[in-house]
Amino acid sequence: MEKGGFRVDSVTIDTTKIKPVRKTPETAIEKLEDTGLISTLLAAREREGSILFSTIDQVFNWARLSSLWPVTSGLACCAIEMMGVAMAHHDIARFGMEIFRASPRQADLMFVAGTVTKRMAPRVKQLYEMMPDPKWVISVGSCANTGGPYHDSYSVLKGVDNIIPVDVYIPGCPPRPEAWLYGIIQLREKIKNEGYGATWGLDK
Amino acid sequence: MNAAEELKKALPDAVTKIGMQCNKPEATVKKEDLLDAAAKAQELGFDQLSVITGVDYEDRVEVIYNLFSYENKHNLVLKVILDHDNPEVDSLTTLWKGADWLERETYDLVGIKFTGHPNLTRILLPEGWNGHPLRKDYDMETEQFVTIGEDGDDVVSTDGSNLLRRK
Repeated sequence: MEKGGFRVDSVTIDTTKIKPVRKTPETAIEKLEDTGLISTLLAAREREGSILFSTIDQVFNWARLSSLWPVTSGLACCAIEMMGVAMAHHDIARFGMEIFRASPRQADLMFVAGTVTKRMAPRVKQLYEMMPDPKWVISVGSCANTGGPYHDSYSVLKGVDNIIPVDVYIPGCPPRPEAWLYGIIQLREKIKNEGYGATWGLDK
Repeated sequence: MNAAEELKKALPDAVTKIGMQCNKPEATVKKEDLLDAAAKAQELGFDQLSVITGVDYEDRVEVIYNLFSYENKHNLVLKVILDHDNPEVDSLTTLWKGADWLERETYDLVGIKFTGHPNLTRILLPEGWNGHPLRKDYDMETEQFVTIGEDGDDVVSTDGSNLLRRK
Protein backbone atom coordinates (compact mmCIF):
# COMPACT_ATOMS: atom_id res chain seq x y z
CA MET A 1 0.00 0.00 0.00
CA GLU A 2 1.45 3.32 -1.07
CA LYS A 3 0.95 5.99 1.46
CA GLY A 4 2.60 9.35 1.72
CA GLY A 5 5.36 8.45 -0.71
CA PHE A 6 6.78 5.37 1.07
CA ARG A 7 5.58 1.88 1.35
CA VAL A 8 4.04 0.43 4.51
CA ASP A 9 3.86 -3.33 4.46
CA SER A 10 1.87 -4.76 7.28
CA VAL A 11 3.66 -8.10 7.00
CA THR A 12 7.31 -7.12 6.78
CA ILE A 13 7.13 -4.18 9.13
CA ASP A 14 9.76 -4.32 11.89
CA THR A 15 7.84 -4.22 15.10
CA THR A 16 10.97 -4.13 17.25
CA LYS A 17 11.60 -0.54 16.22
CA ILE A 18 8.22 0.59 17.40
CA LYS A 19 8.33 1.50 21.04
CA PRO A 20 5.10 2.14 22.85
CA VAL A 21 5.42 5.45 24.61
CA ARG A 22 3.85 5.56 28.03
CA LYS A 23 2.65 9.04 28.69
CA THR A 24 3.62 10.34 32.07
CA PRO A 25 0.55 11.89 33.69
CA GLU A 26 0.82 15.63 33.95
CA THR A 27 -2.58 17.19 34.29
CA ALA A 28 -4.89 16.46 37.16
CA ILE A 29 -7.32 14.43 35.07
CA GLU A 30 -4.46 12.31 33.69
CA LYS A 31 -3.17 11.63 37.16
CA LEU A 32 -6.64 10.60 38.22
CA GLU A 33 -6.85 8.23 35.27
CA ASP A 34 -3.47 6.77 36.16
CA THR A 35 -4.69 5.69 39.56
CA GLY A 36 -7.26 3.46 37.90
CA LEU A 37 -10.02 5.01 39.95
CA ILE A 38 -12.04 6.06 36.92
CA SER A 39 -11.89 2.62 35.37
CA THR A 40 -12.90 1.22 38.74
CA LEU A 41 -15.85 3.55 38.92
CA LEU A 42 -16.86 2.70 35.36
CA ALA A 43 -16.58 -1.00 36.10
CA ALA A 44 -18.56 -0.48 39.27
CA ARG A 45 -21.31 1.30 37.36
CA GLU A 46 -21.59 -1.68 35.05
CA ARG A 47 -21.70 -4.15 37.90
CA GLU A 48 -23.74 -2.58 40.60
CA GLY A 49 -22.33 -2.74 44.06
CA SER A 50 -18.86 -4.05 43.34
CA ILE A 51 -17.34 -0.66 44.14
CA LEU A 52 -17.81 -1.56 47.76
CA PHE A 53 -15.78 -4.72 47.47
CA SER A 54 -13.05 -3.22 45.35
CA THR A 55 -12.24 -0.61 47.93
CA ILE A 56 -12.80 -2.83 50.90
CA ASP A 57 -9.98 -5.04 49.60
CA GLN A 58 -7.53 -2.55 50.98
CA VAL A 59 -9.23 -2.62 54.33
CA PHE A 60 -9.20 -6.39 54.35
CA ASN A 61 -5.57 -6.55 53.27
CA TRP A 62 -4.60 -4.04 55.91
CA ALA A 63 -6.47 -6.01 58.56
CA ARG A 64 -4.95 -9.29 57.43
CA LEU A 65 -1.37 -8.11 57.30
CA SER A 66 -1.67 -6.32 60.60
CA SER A 67 -2.77 -9.37 62.55
CA LEU A 68 -1.01 -12.37 61.07
CA TRP A 69 -1.35 -15.05 63.68
CA PRO A 70 1.14 -17.89 63.17
CA VAL A 71 0.41 -21.43 64.18
CA THR A 72 2.63 -22.85 66.89
CA SER A 73 4.60 -25.41 64.98
CA GLY A 74 8.30 -25.96 64.82
CA LEU A 75 10.07 -28.90 63.27
CA ALA A 76 13.76 -28.43 64.09
CA CYS A 77 16.37 -25.89 65.13
CA CYS A 78 14.78 -23.08 63.07
CA ALA A 79 12.00 -23.14 65.64
CA ILE A 80 14.54 -21.95 68.22
CA GLU A 81 15.10 -18.88 66.06
CA MET A 82 11.32 -18.56 65.81
CA MET A 83 11.24 -18.26 69.58
CA GLY A 84 13.97 -15.64 69.31
CA VAL A 85 11.89 -13.69 66.81
CA ALA A 86 8.89 -13.85 69.09
CA MET A 87 10.76 -12.75 72.20
CA ALA A 88 11.28 -9.20 73.36
CA HIS A 89 14.48 -8.35 71.53
CA HIS A 90 13.22 -8.91 67.98
CA ASP A 91 9.58 -8.75 68.97
CA ILE A 92 7.23 -9.56 66.11
CA ALA A 93 4.48 -8.04 68.24
CA ARG A 94 5.38 -4.91 66.29
CA PHE A 95 3.64 -6.58 63.34
CA GLY A 96 0.74 -7.84 65.39
CA MET A 97 2.07 -11.38 65.10
CA GLU A 98 2.93 -12.20 68.65
CA ILE A 99 -0.04 -14.49 69.22
CA PHE A 100 1.16 -17.95 68.26
CA ARG A 101 -2.05 -19.93 68.13
CA ALA A 102 -2.00 -23.44 69.46
CA SER A 103 -4.77 -24.40 67.06
CA PRO A 104 -4.46 -24.20 63.28
CA ARG A 105 -8.15 -23.23 63.13
CA GLN A 106 -7.29 -19.80 64.50
CA ALA A 107 -4.10 -19.20 62.53
CA ASP A 108 -3.44 -17.35 59.28
CA LEU A 109 0.21 -18.13 58.82
CA MET A 110 2.39 -21.17 59.11
CA PHE A 111 6.15 -21.03 59.56
CA VAL A 112 7.57 -24.28 58.26
CA ALA A 113 10.56 -23.98 60.54
CA GLY A 114 12.89 -26.91 60.12
CA THR A 115 13.51 -30.22 58.44
CA VAL A 116 10.41 -31.79 56.94
CA THR A 117 10.98 -35.50 57.25
CA LYS A 118 9.00 -38.01 55.23
CA ARG A 119 7.22 -39.08 58.38
CA MET A 120 6.34 -35.52 59.38
CA ALA A 121 5.26 -34.45 55.89
CA PRO A 122 1.65 -35.73 56.06
CA ARG A 123 1.27 -34.04 59.45
CA VAL A 124 2.54 -30.73 58.07
CA LYS A 125 0.15 -31.02 55.16
CA GLN A 126 -2.72 -31.83 57.49
CA LEU A 127 -1.86 -28.85 59.65
CA TYR A 128 -1.90 -26.62 56.58
CA GLU A 129 -5.21 -28.01 55.40
CA MET A 130 -6.78 -27.43 58.81
CA MET A 131 -6.03 -23.71 58.64
CA PRO A 132 -8.93 -21.56 57.39
CA ASP A 133 -8.54 -19.39 54.29
CA PRO A 134 -6.92 -16.95 53.73
CA LYS A 135 -3.66 -18.57 54.79
CA TRP A 136 -0.03 -18.04 54.04
CA VAL A 137 3.09 -20.14 54.43
CA ILE A 138 6.64 -19.01 55.07
CA SER A 139 9.26 -21.66 54.49
CA VAL A 140 12.18 -21.02 56.79
CA GLY A 141 15.68 -22.36 56.45
CA SER A 142 17.55 -24.49 53.96
CA CYS A 143 15.87 -27.71 55.03
CA ALA A 144 12.33 -26.52 54.46
CA ASN A 145 13.29 -24.72 51.25
CA THR A 146 15.15 -27.48 49.42
CA GLY A 147 16.05 -30.23 51.83
CA GLY A 148 19.31 -28.45 52.63
CA PRO A 149 22.08 -30.66 53.99
CA TYR A 150 19.67 -33.60 53.93
CA HIS A 151 18.89 -33.28 50.23
CA ASP A 152 20.42 -36.69 49.48
CA SER A 153 18.78 -38.33 52.46
CA TYR A 154 16.31 -41.17 52.32
CA SER A 155 14.01 -39.69 54.91
CA VAL A 156 13.78 -35.95 54.20
CA LEU A 157 11.45 -34.19 51.81
CA LYS A 158 13.25 -32.14 49.17
CA GLY A 159 11.52 -28.88 49.93
CA VAL A 160 8.21 -28.30 51.64
CA ASP A 161 6.82 -26.74 48.45
CA ASN A 162 6.46 -30.30 47.20
CA ILE A 163 3.45 -30.70 49.47
CA ILE A 164 2.06 -27.23 50.25
CA PRO A 165 2.24 -23.87 48.43
CA VAL A 166 4.79 -21.47 49.88
CA ASP A 167 4.58 -17.66 49.75
CA VAL A 168 7.95 -16.58 51.06
CA TYR A 169 11.21 -18.50 51.34
CA ILE A 170 13.74 -17.38 53.93
CA PRO A 171 17.24 -18.79 53.33
CA GLY A 172 19.67 -19.53 56.11
CA CYS A 173 20.71 -22.36 58.35
CA PRO A 174 19.01 -21.27 60.52
CA PRO A 175 18.12 -17.74 59.41
CA ARG A 176 18.89 -15.01 61.87
CA PRO A 177 15.91 -13.18 63.37
CA GLU A 178 16.68 -10.21 61.10
CA ALA A 179 16.16 -12.48 58.11
CA TRP A 180 12.84 -13.59 59.59
CA LEU A 181 11.76 -10.00 59.97
CA TYR A 182 12.72 -9.30 56.36
CA GLY A 183 10.73 -12.32 55.22
CA ILE A 184 7.74 -11.21 57.27
CA ILE A 185 7.92 -7.74 55.69
CA GLN A 186 8.02 -9.36 52.24
CA LEU A 187 4.89 -11.33 53.08
CA ARG A 188 3.17 -8.16 54.27
CA GLU A 189 4.02 -6.51 50.95
CA LYS A 190 2.55 -9.50 49.17
CA ILE A 191 -0.66 -9.41 51.17
CA LYS A 192 -0.93 -5.68 50.58
CA ASN A 193 -1.01 -6.29 46.83
CA GLU A 194 -3.67 -8.99 46.86
CA GLY A 195 -7.24 -8.65 45.64
CA TYR A 196 -9.04 -6.78 42.87
CA GLY A 197 -8.26 -3.39 44.30
CA ALA A 198 -4.56 -3.92 43.78
CA THR A 199 -4.97 -5.10 40.19
CA TRP A 200 -7.01 -1.99 39.46
CA GLY A 201 -4.31 0.26 40.83
CA LEU A 202 -6.07 1.14 44.05
CA ASP A 203 -3.15 0.26 46.25
CA LYS A 204 -1.22 3.39 45.25
CA MET B 1 45.80 -54.37 83.22
CA ASN B 2 42.95 -52.77 81.39
CA ALA B 3 39.41 -54.07 81.12
CA ALA B 4 39.90 -55.82 77.78
CA GLU B 5 42.87 -57.74 79.15
CA GLU B 6 40.87 -58.72 82.24
CA LEU B 7 38.08 -59.96 79.98
CA LYS B 8 40.59 -61.93 77.90
CA LYS B 9 42.02 -63.46 81.06
CA ALA B 10 38.57 -64.43 82.34
CA LEU B 11 37.25 -65.78 79.03
CA PRO B 12 40.21 -66.76 76.86
CA ASP B 13 38.10 -68.71 74.37
CA ALA B 14 35.41 -66.10 73.81
CA VAL B 15 37.67 -63.12 73.25
CA THR B 16 39.51 -63.45 69.95
CA LYS B 17 41.37 -60.15 69.85
CA ILE B 18 42.09 -57.25 72.16
CA GLY B 19 43.39 -53.81 71.40
CA MET B 20 42.62 -50.14 71.74
CA GLN B 21 40.02 -48.14 69.91
CA CYS B 22 39.98 -44.35 70.37
CA ASN B 23 41.94 -44.76 73.62
CA LYS B 24 39.36 -47.22 74.89
CA PRO B 25 40.19 -50.89 75.54
CA GLU B 26 38.53 -53.01 72.93
CA ALA B 27 37.73 -56.70 72.88
CA THR B 28 36.51 -58.59 69.85
CA VAL B 29 34.19 -61.37 70.95
CA LYS B 30 32.86 -64.43 69.19
CA LYS B 31 29.21 -63.87 68.45
CA GLU B 32 28.15 -67.10 70.19
CA ASP B 33 29.84 -65.99 73.40
CA LEU B 34 28.61 -62.40 73.43
CA LEU B 35 26.15 -62.93 76.27
CA ASP B 36 28.81 -64.55 78.47
CA ALA B 37 31.35 -61.85 77.72
CA ALA B 38 28.82 -59.08 78.34
CA ALA B 39 27.76 -60.67 81.63
CA LYS B 40 31.43 -60.89 82.64
CA ALA B 41 31.91 -57.24 81.70
CA GLN B 42 28.95 -56.36 83.86
CA GLU B 43 30.56 -58.25 86.72
CA LEU B 44 33.72 -56.21 86.17
CA GLY B 45 31.67 -53.10 86.96
CA PHE B 46 30.51 -51.89 83.55
CA ASP B 47 27.03 -50.91 84.58
CA GLN B 48 26.06 -48.76 81.61
CA LEU B 49 25.62 -49.66 77.97
CA SER B 50 26.10 -46.29 76.29
CA VAL B 51 25.79 -46.93 72.58
CA ILE B 52 25.22 -49.77 70.17
CA THR B 53 26.60 -49.19 66.70
CA GLY B 54 26.18 -51.29 63.60
CA VAL B 55 28.67 -50.99 60.75
CA ASP B 56 28.11 -52.43 57.28
CA TYR B 57 31.37 -53.47 55.62
CA GLU B 58 31.77 -55.20 52.29
CA ASP B 59 32.30 -58.67 53.69
CA ARG B 60 30.98 -58.44 57.22
CA VAL B 61 28.75 -56.54 59.60
CA GLU B 62 30.11 -55.38 62.92
CA VAL B 63 28.19 -54.51 66.05
CA ILE B 64 30.04 -52.36 68.55
CA TYR B 65 28.96 -52.01 72.16
CA ASN B 66 30.31 -49.10 74.20
CA LEU B 67 30.28 -49.87 77.90
CA PHE B 68 31.01 -47.51 80.76
CA SER B 69 31.62 -48.01 84.41
CA TYR B 70 30.29 -45.29 86.65
CA GLU B 71 32.23 -46.60 89.63
CA ASN B 72 35.69 -46.79 88.04
CA LYS B 73 35.10 -44.28 85.22
CA HIS B 74 36.38 -46.82 82.70
CA ASN B 75 35.35 -47.57 79.16
CA LEU B 76 35.20 -50.86 77.34
CA VAL B 77 34.37 -51.54 73.72
CA LEU B 78 32.96 -54.91 72.78
CA LYS B 79 32.84 -55.87 69.14
CA VAL B 80 31.22 -58.79 67.35
CA ILE B 81 31.67 -59.67 63.70
CA LEU B 82 28.60 -61.03 61.93
CA ASP B 83 27.74 -62.57 58.61
CA HIS B 84 27.04 -59.94 55.97
CA ASP B 85 23.94 -61.49 54.45
CA ASN B 86 22.27 -62.69 57.63
CA PRO B 87 23.49 -60.59 60.58
CA GLU B 88 22.10 -62.04 63.77
CA VAL B 89 23.32 -61.76 67.35
CA ASP B 90 21.99 -62.29 70.86
CA SER B 91 20.13 -59.45 72.48
CA LEU B 92 21.60 -57.82 75.58
CA THR B 93 18.24 -56.68 76.96
CA THR B 94 18.48 -59.28 79.72
CA LEU B 95 21.64 -57.60 81.04
CA TRP B 96 20.97 -53.93 80.36
CA LYS B 97 17.39 -52.67 80.05
CA GLY B 98 18.65 -49.74 77.99
CA ALA B 99 19.70 -52.06 75.22
CA ASP B 100 16.06 -52.28 74.15
CA TRP B 101 15.78 -49.09 72.15
CA LEU B 102 19.44 -49.12 71.09
CA GLU B 103 18.97 -52.52 69.52
CA ARG B 104 15.72 -51.44 67.90
CA GLU B 105 17.54 -48.50 66.34
CA THR B 106 20.34 -50.71 65.08
CA TYR B 107 17.77 -53.09 63.67
CA ASP B 108 15.89 -50.24 62.04
CA LEU B 109 18.80 -48.58 60.28
CA VAL B 110 21.35 -51.36 59.75
CA GLY B 111 19.09 -54.41 59.74
CA ILE B 112 20.78 -56.51 62.41
CA LYS B 113 18.49 -59.04 64.05
CA PHE B 114 18.80 -59.37 67.81
CA THR B 115 17.51 -62.75 68.88
CA GLY B 116 15.72 -62.72 72.21
CA HIS B 117 14.70 -59.08 71.96
CA PRO B 118 11.20 -58.58 73.45
CA ASN B 119 9.94 -56.16 70.80
CA LEU B 120 12.17 -55.96 67.77
CA THR B 121 10.28 -53.44 65.64
CA ARG B 122 11.37 -50.29 63.85
CA ILE B 123 11.82 -47.28 66.09
CA LEU B 124 12.56 -44.31 63.80
CA LEU B 125 11.13 -45.26 60.45
CA PRO B 126 7.50 -46.37 60.14
CA GLU B 127 6.58 -50.02 59.88
CA GLY B 128 6.50 -51.16 56.30
CA TRP B 129 9.54 -49.20 55.19
CA ASN B 130 11.44 -51.11 52.56
CA GLY B 131 15.09 -51.70 53.38
CA HIS B 132 17.51 -50.59 56.05
CA PRO B 133 18.89 -47.19 55.04
CA LEU B 134 22.39 -47.30 56.51
CA ARG B 135 23.29 -50.45 54.60
CA LYS B 136 25.40 -49.97 51.51
CA ASP B 137 22.97 -51.94 49.34
CA TYR B 138 20.02 -49.69 50.25
CA ASP B 139 18.04 -48.62 47.20
CA MET B 140 18.30 -44.82 47.07
CA GLU B 141 16.60 -44.57 43.67
CA THR B 142 13.03 -45.41 44.66
CA GLU B 143 11.67 -42.72 46.90
CA GLN B 144 9.31 -43.85 49.65
CA PHE B 145 6.56 -41.66 51.05
CA VAL B 146 4.58 -41.82 54.24
CA THR B 147 0.89 -41.03 54.47
CA ILE B 148 -1.53 -41.34 57.35
CA GLY B 149 -3.94 -44.21 57.05
CA GLU B 150 -7.58 -44.21 58.08
CA ASP B 151 -6.81 -45.53 61.55
CA GLY B 152 -4.02 -43.01 62.10
CA ASP B 153 -1.15 -45.34 61.35
CA ASP B 154 1.69 -44.52 59.02
CA VAL B 155 1.35 -46.07 55.59
CA VAL B 156 4.49 -46.36 53.48
CA SER B 157 4.27 -46.38 49.72
CA THR B 158 6.30 -45.35 46.71
CA ASP B 159 3.24 -43.53 45.38
CA GLY B 160 3.24 -39.98 46.72
CA SER B 161 0.18 -38.78 44.86
CA ASN B 162 -1.81 -38.30 48.07
CA LEU B 163 0.95 -36.22 49.57
CA LEU B 164 2.60 -34.28 46.77
CA ARG B 165 1.07 -31.25 45.13
CA ARG B 166 -0.25 -31.64 41.64
CA LYS B 167 1.92 -29.52 39.39
